[in-house]
Amino acid sequence: MNAIAQGIMTETGHDEAGPLLDVRGLRTEFVTGAGTVRAVNDVSLTVRRGQVLGVVGESGSGKSVTARSILRMVPEPGRITGGEVQFEGRDLLALSEPDMRALRGSEIAMVFQDPQSALNPVLTVGYQIAEALIVHGAGKRTARSRALDLLRQVGIPDAERRIDDYPHQFSGGMRQRVVIAIALAGSPSLLIADEPTTALDVTIQAQILRLLGRLRDELGIAVLMITHDMGVVAETCDDVVVMYGGRVVEQGPVEVVFARQEHPYTADLLKAMPRLDTGAQVRLPAIPGMPPDPAALPPGCAFHPRCRLAEDQCRTAVPGLTPQGGKGQSAACWVTGRGVPIPPLDAVPGEAGARAGTGGAPLLQVRDLRVDVGSGRRGLFGRPEPVYAVDGVSLSVAGGETLGLVGESGCGKSTLARTIVGINRPAAGEVTVGGAAAGTPGGARALRSAVQYVFQDPYASLNPRRTIRQSLDEALEMRGVPRPERAAEASALLRRVGLNDTHLDRYPHAFSGGQRQRIGIARALAVEPKVLICDEPVSALDVSIQAQIINLLESLRDELGLGYLFIAHDLSVVRHLSDRVAVMYLGKIVETGPVDTVYTTPQHPYTTALLSSSPAPETTARERDRIVLTGDLPSPKDPPSGCRFRTRCPIGPLAHPERRVCVEREPVLTETPAGQLAACHFAGEMAELAGRR
Amino acid sequence: MLRFLVRRLPSVVFVLLATTVVAFLLPRLAPGDPASVAAGPEATPEQIAALRIEMGLDRPLIQQYLDWMGGLFTGQLGESLQFRRPVSELIGARLESTVELTVAATLLMIVVGIGLGVFAGSARSRWSRFTADATNTTLLAMPPFLAGLLLVILLGVTFRVLPISGEVAVLDDPVIGLQYLILPAIALAVPMSGSIAMLVQSSMDNAWRQDYVDLAVAKGVGRRRIAVRHVVRNSLGPAVVAIGIRFGEMLAGAVVIEMIFARNGLGQLAVTSVQSADYNVVQVLIVGAVVIAVVVQLLTEIAMATLDPRVRLGV
Amino acid sequence: MTTIDTTGGTPESAAPRRGGDGALRRYLAALRTPRGAAGAGLLGALVLLALLAPALFPGGYDEQGSGGLAGASAAHWMGTDELGRDILARTVYGLRTDLSLLLTAVPASAVIGTLMGLSGVLSRWLGAGMQRLLDVILGFPGIVLGMSVVLVIGTGWLALFASILVIGLPLFGRQARAGLQIEQEREYVLAARVLGVRRRTVMTRHVLPNIVDPIVVNAAVYMVVAIFIEAGLSIVGLGIQPPIPSLGAMLNTGARYLEVHPAYVMGPGLVLLLLTLAFTLLSNALNKAVLRK
Repeated sequence: MNAIAQGIMTETGHDEAGPLLDVRGLRTEFVTGAGTVRAVNDVSLTVRRGQVLGVVGESGSGKSVTARSILRMVPEPGRITGGEVQFEGRDLLALSEPDMRALRGSEIAMVFQDPQSALNPVLTVGYQIAEALIVHGAGKRTARSRALDLLRQVGIPDAERRIDDYPHQFSGGMRQRVVIAIALAGSPSLLIADEPTTALDVTIQAQILRLLGRLRDELGIAVLMITHDMGVVAETCDDVVVMYGGRVVEQGPVEVVFARQEHPYTADLLKAMPRLDTGAQVRLPAIPGMPPDPAALPPGCAFHPRCRLAEDQCRTAVPGLTPQGGKGQSAACWVTGRGVPIPPLDAVPGEAGARAGTGGAPLLQVRDLRVDVGSGRRGLFGRPEPVYAVDGVSLSVAGGETLGLVGESGCGKSTLARTIVGINRPAAGEVTVGGAAAGTPGGARALRSAVQYVFQDPYASLNPRRTIRQSLDEALEMRGVPRPERAAEASALLRRVGLNDTHLDRYPHAFSGGQRQRIGIARALAVEPKVLICDEPVSALDVSIQAQIINLLESLRDELGLGYLFIAHDLSVVRHLSDRVAVMYLGKIVETGPVDTVYTTPQHPYTTALLSSSPAPETTARERDRIVLTGDLPSPKDPPSGCRFRTRCPIGPLAHPERRVCVEREPVLTETPAGQLAACHFAGEMAELAGRR
Repeated sequence: MLRFLVRRLPSVVFVLLATTVVAFLLPRLAPGDPASVAAGPEATPEQIAALRIEMGLDRPLIQQYLDWMGGLFTGQLGESLQFRRPVSELIGARLESTVELTVAATLLMIVVGIGLGVFAGSARSRWSRFTADATNTTLLAMPPFLAGLLLVILLGVTFRVLPISGEVAVLDDPVIGLQYLILPAIALAVPMSGSIAMLVQSSMDNAWRQDYVDLAVAKGVGRRRIAVRHVVRNSLGPAVVAIGIRFGEMLAGAVVIEMIFARNGLGQLAVTSVQSADYNVVQVLIVGAVVIAVVVQLLTEIAMATLDPRVRLGV
Repeated sequence: MTTIDTTGGTPESAAPRRGGDGALRRYLAALRTPRGAAGAGLLGALVLLALLAPALFPGGYDEQGSGGLAGASAAHWMGTDELGRDILARTVYGLRTDLSLLLTAVPASAVIGTLMGLSGVLSRWLGAGMQRLLDVILGFPGIVLGMSVVLVIGTGWLALFASILVIGLPLFGRQARAGLQIEQEREYVLAARVLGVRRRTVMTRHVLPNIVDPIVVNAAVYMVVAIFIEAGLSIVGLGIQPPIPSLGAMLNTGARYLEVHPAYVMGPGLVLLLLTLAFTLLSNALNKAVLRK
């Protein structure tokens, strides 16, 4: 193993100084009552000076434990049981705890996933940055002035004033900048970033990734980036390590690996991702099955149960990582190791013929909907102040078609969905289903039977105390299915979503996330609805599972002629599934139209920025000129006057102070030459700019 | 901060008002005529009638309540039926004893409770954790009166180290006064510190699992500094609130402890007044106890707010 | 699924965690832990002792002998009290009194308090009113409330019962109300509402079962408080009146003879300690097994 790692290193090594970090044969185990779980198994990787290494994998792949093992911060009851972590000539696993503590923060620093919880709520950000210096011997005064510099360096506006603020006074993106400032405090030569942008919106993610790139260029810091997102890897990393079931299955320079994969997992995972630039002509080639439970890894190659190339040898023996493919690339696969190429996947066409005609009379119509989510508590003086999370939204969904709704968190898309199905009450406007207004008693019943909801979190939307049969029975009862027929109906429903009868009498905790989402869909289908409101149904799922659920939703739509209102923050998923798309910003729809038109020729600057911020899993996209929005989403409590987007707009008053109209007049949705509707006084200008580049 | 107080104020005022109504109604809820109870069994009907007028029982209820409330605010607390002395004088004479006891016990409770909790919350070895757990459980299961009796038997009867009965004001003679104070204060405080300790321990356990502790480790901060700056700081809020809530129990416990250690405090006065249906005294004591309990609770909530910027700055 | 990557926590195996198995089975699981078993065993022994009191001491609690305040002897294992009555017999009968209070007043308090906390379901105004009422009760320190009760209805078993009941109401009411607020917003509750399941069915099927668990744990915790209330009121002479024994009442009289007859308070004191210990252990075990997933 070591020899191989060495070989890879020399082969890759275009820098003479040797690697900054060299992990060899790392093993980390968790001893639990149920047995020993080997979360990290014989992992070797190398980070070169000033370079960015991406470690990518799905949940349970061991990527985060690997990162924590390097800093010897494995949570209880985890133990590092083997291997070496060479950092600038020292084996970190052999250091004493005080030496290790001196190294943490000063030579290797870490950025965490969730900036919400990573900062101590009762200490000022200035103190928390300064502490990183004080514990390594700096004086209080120098620490504070350095903290101020760091805040400026990571782009916190008005740093002098904000240094004494508490974390809750910052937005999510700003908090992550503070966490990065803390990491930079000791001028480390290696930064370990554990999913640094997963908890953030795309436009904020773009800001943070740009910041990390800038730091690498300016300060020469090497970065070990842990992520589940191939797009982030493609756009920010120099090298990539792909992990699966606690092992490295493939590694190499990003350009080489994305051009040609040597491990079937990497290859199929990339194919299973929906793309920003192609629509839904074909089904996604999903990887069957699910990522393995680290407590019960399959023997041999952990990927073999899901692999289309698997042979007998794969089932019994673990393949080693061997150099193959392009320069610096290596993979752990018996089949491709013999030089067998990975055959292209057969494209599964969508059942285009079977697809019920889209269009026709809209089943669900929403007109001028406004929703007040204010606390209802009276202000100090007089009436309660309304907070409109949804402020005048109109849309319609016809049978067999999908309307995609995209927007960042806090834009009101979930509130809109919940109001449509009657969980929240509208303050104004109406929801009509097949002609009947949902506000009336008869309409409410029509709504219940015609419109159903699929929740984002498959763990929270099933009652843990009730079996799947009980959950489905409840829904069937609502449809009026007599008791004796329910068993047959329930098993038919489960088969419909790709599960079977044996699952009926189990409790939700026995299922994986993807399976639970299937159950959630089955429950929604039980009342034979005509429209499904899908609220981020795949965003909590692993990439390989996500493709399965997307395919399921597509075939259900096409076979049953269902209409979908599909809500997501992931633009490529929306592109793949939708016929039409609506872009929402701060309670209002800013652009809507046919999905291809909106994606190819966006007319609203916000749409343009969203598309530009979404990372694409291909290395060619790195060179494109990105539009990164500044600032954060304003609060719906106090929306900006005129155009709500003007405070972040790259072509609005920020860039052109003479454009008073954006401040004074609210733009309305109007038809643009390209065909879609956009609410912008200068619609199209952005597209022209982008096109000229 | 101001907004926090403004938000809390209406419910505090409501509780206090409702308490005065309850206290006012108590004698009238009891079976029998308060006047005849007050006059005693040998009183003649004329004496009772005279007492009725003296107690104002012949006027409308609202009027009586307003008069009584007016008395509370002006310090005209009426006269004890039992001792035939002004209530304010009776209370004034016993106030110091009870204040000394509760203040000493509260200080002890804070020191022991938080100390033990922080010890249990930072203990790493199996042994120290077990010891801390066992101590907490024992303290929790130990009611103040039992602790008192045990202390009396152990230190007062068996070894005769400290006085177990009576008192000397600490202000008059600090050395002797403290000797008299020490056992009752321990008896009152130690059991309640068990629950404070338990709370501190569990919120510290919770704090150790937070991401900000990981971030601090990644910064290179040592375990001790993490414990002091990050964990304890975040765990004291619930403890402070609990101390505020416990303060009411502290007053209640003082009643029992005064009985056991024969201290002539307000608790004793309350008990004898209840036994002899001395309504005028009991009413004032009830209102007083509730006011103090509620005010202390409000104060601790303010203290909590200063500990936690999220509350202070109003999220 | 594992959570290693996202939370850095311990990997969970697919072993069943909190299942849909009935509430009773989860409570029984709590009793199988060391703490739970110790608590249940201790409580069981004490209840058995109390039940057997008439058989063990056929003379009852009020049989007066010749010598007052005698030390331990073969006839009186713990000696006799000031009236020459057997202290052991009186202790066991006192335990009987205490248990008869605890096992009726605490459940009554839990049920009524929970209903008060849940009353907001029926009408928002009723719920707010109940909340205010509970706030007022909470403002009263325990013994002060007990004194008020005694002032109105006089001393005795009933006053203790009422005191324990009323003092517990805010504890259970607030717990129920908080639970209701959390459980009503669960996604599976929303899912049932979207399906059109009737409000009442949603409540009984999806909401209430999850509110009951913390109430049961709280009831076990409150048992200890109730013991303190009985003993506290009795010690100061406002509880059970002679000649009927209760643990607190015996401590009251025994405290007068501390110097001459320490065993007088030690007997009832020890039983009281065992009783509180039993409930403390039980509530700890229930808390761990039922509330922590």
